[in-house]
Amino acid sequence: MYGADVEQIAIQLNEDPQKLADFEARIARGEKIEPGDWMPAEYRRQLIRMISQHAHSEVVGMLPEGAWITKAPSLRRKLILLAKVQDEAGHGQYLYHAAETLGATREEMLDALLEGKAKYSSIFNYHTTTWADNGAIGWLVDGAAILNQTMLARCSYGPYSRAMVRICMEENFHRKQGQEMIILYSQGTPTQRAMVQDAITRWWWPTLMMFGPHDADSPNSGVLIRWGIKTRTNDELRQDFINQLVPDLQACGIVLPDPDLHYDEATGNWRTGAIDWDEFWAVLKGNGPANAERMAARRQAHADGYWVREAAAAYAVKNQNQ
Amino acid sequence: MVFQQEGPDQPVVHNGTVHAPDAELAMLNARDVFVRRPEAVALWVVPADAIFTQTQEELAKAEPADQAASELSDYYVFAKFSQQAQCRQVGQVQAGSPQAAVQAAIATFADKQPLWWWVFPASAVLKNESSEAEPMFSAARYKTYKDQAEYPVVTMMRALRDKGRLD
Amino acid sequence: MERARQYALSGYLIALADDELILGHRDSEWTGHAPILEEDIAFANLALDEIGHAKLWYELGADLLGQDKTTYPDRLVYFREPAQFRNMQLVELPKGDWAFSTLRQYLFDAFEALRLEALSQSSYTPLAEIAARIRTEELYHLRHSQAWVPRLGLGTEESHARMQAALDALWPYAQGLAAPLPGEQDLHAAGIVPSSAALFERWSGEVSQFLVEAGLQVELRSPLADMHRSSHSEHLPALIHDLQSVARLDPEAIW
Ligand SMILES: [Fe+2]
Ligand SMILES: [Fe+2]
Ligand SMILES: [Fe+2]
Repeated sequence: MYGADVEQIAIQLNEDPQKLADFEARIARGEKIEPGDWMPAEYRRQLIRMISQHAHSEVVGMLPEGAWITKAPSLRRKLILLAKVQDEAGHGQYLYHAAETLGATREEMLDALLEGKAKYSSIFNYHTTTWADNGAIGWLVDGAAILNQTMLARCSYGPYSRAMVRICMEENFHRKQGQEMIILYSQGTPTQRAMVQDAITRWWWPTLMMFGPHDADSPNSGVLIRWGIKTRTNDELRQDFINQLVPDLQACGIVLPDPDLHYDEATGNWRTGAIDWDEFWAVLKGNGPANAERMAARRQAHADGYWVREAAAAYAVKNQNQ
Repeated sequence: MVFQQEGPDQPVVHNGTVHAPDAELAMLNARDVFVRRPEAVALWVVPADAIFTQTQEELAKAEPADQAASELSDYYVFAKFSQQAQCRQVGQVQAGSPQAAVQAAIATFADKQPLWWWVFPASAVLKNESSEAEPMFSAARYKTYKDQAEYPVVTMMRALRDKGRLD
Repeated sequence: MERARQYALSGYLIALADDELILGHRDSEWTGHAPILEEDIAFANLALDEIGHAKLWYELGADLLGQDKTTYPDRLVYFREPAQFRNMQLVELPKGDWAFSTLRQYLFDAFEALRLEALSQSSYTPLAEIAARIRTEELYHLRHSQAWVPRLGLGTEESHARMQAALDALWPYAQGLAAPLPGEQDLHAAGIVPSSAALFERWSGEVSQFLVEAGLQVELRSPLADMHRSSHSEHLPALIHDLQSVARLDPEAIW
């Protein structure tokens, strides 16, 4: 559909061809689109979908690691983990704001999440079962997120791109604290080594799925790339990630759970076995190990907090009237 | 809307937005959201509806404002000079209305050609008191563990590989 | 400073640190579950600060005992038995609803502000310096809880009822702030630390007035029978078990 020229697309999207052509020319010149600017309705819709999903992912993403804050095994690790999970809340805040510049309200977006209508990254529907999972999440999951977010920092929508620049800087701390933990434990006591091996074994495949389906099966990719929201494909980003991580994890003495993993001399890429897409779609549709639990926790927090939000609003009104 | 100053000689710039039912909570939220790392020496919060914005295009079409209409008050003038740049403070004017404040700004800062002007009454701003600066912003300085430079993972990986080669 | 006094002071500081650690632990339980996203961040901040304060006091305590500052604090946190902790009961109570946590934070921080003011004048300079640094962070805590207490106390009928219930539950435990810390008498006589009882007088006056202005009723009730810092509720062992669960999987490991 999007290989066609602007006029055809304008007809399909019911947009003014001239405006659409100008808009696409701006993107081609590398300009940022700002909140008040003209944009196709489909651009707005896709951005709200993406940014709000991203915001929800940050907020739900607090839960798997948040469960370990009270258990962190040293004061240093406790402070690091707390600061990291706190950052995720901050990222959620920046991103909800970025989506609001497109006309969505935080309340609407939260309602959509709590009603189960909005998606968030499936990776958070897996359980964290040992302490070392926090290291694996930092190095693998945040590492994967950084690749995606570095791309989005260059995206065509100004507020999203600026939020991403800020978030990427903070994510580097997240990735590195996780990597540091995995390196140290992989050289640590037998308990620690076993814990790390187990954590990577469980998180490896779900992390590869984070980049989304293969390009051929990714319904939104075409338009997102055309309009400079995404500048690289799922498969390209995934391959970069694999190439970065495999040699480092192997240097730590960690065995990856993939008998088909091999280095392809010809292309210089590491090749993995086939990804289990049935698992991916199952988790995405709500049947992952922790979907129900994550949503229950968010709903509970929202319901428990109702009286606080109401009280703050009531107090503000009373004070204004005085 | 949250504005912050990153250093004593830096301009105040627009930084983001927080949700809050009143100014005091907005200030607290702004500090917690935006100063998790040591990057501010002053914070301002302004209700979004107190900010009046005009683009150059809109200005061209605008009617001249009636300066004599009402009492003068202080307005902060901010401007955005390029798409990528943050909206930053250029100065302060006295005017009787937001429209008049923009026109006063154009007259006062004739050399500036921003994409947008932002003006808001000084009375709409909540700023942190300078005596509060220490408690508000110093805490972040000690939290060095938030700094990625604290984690020498590249060196650690190199050491691992060197060790692997020796074994 | 003579050995015996160094020893006494380290005991005093470890008790202070225990308060901070346990309160920070309870605060941290809100991360991901707060009523407003901004308060997830705020409570995580409180927790980071309190645990950071605990670390500073443990380190100074370790110093005074001639122990290694980098490793001894973790030994204290992760390898003492619950009965060896010297925190006051106020901080170990479960987090309750957001009214309970916010009000506890206020009651504790208001006292801490006074104690830190006094400690920053201590004749023992290393102690005075750390107290001054912690105090700047605590001023912000107080601003946060002083903003929320009246909002909740006066906001709606429900928020008022929750705050009053929280106050009724917390007040007897808050009386424990008057109890002396380990070694306090001698250290106070030497001009190193303030008298908790004297601080408590000031605290009661200030706090009662503030609470009344926030629409709450402060009832004078008799304190709990046993305010001594070696007695704990059943909540502490559970908390400590959770806190130490990973570290104790492998006591030899560096985590
Ligand atoms: Fe994040
Ligand atoms: Fe503290
Ligand atoms: Fe505090």
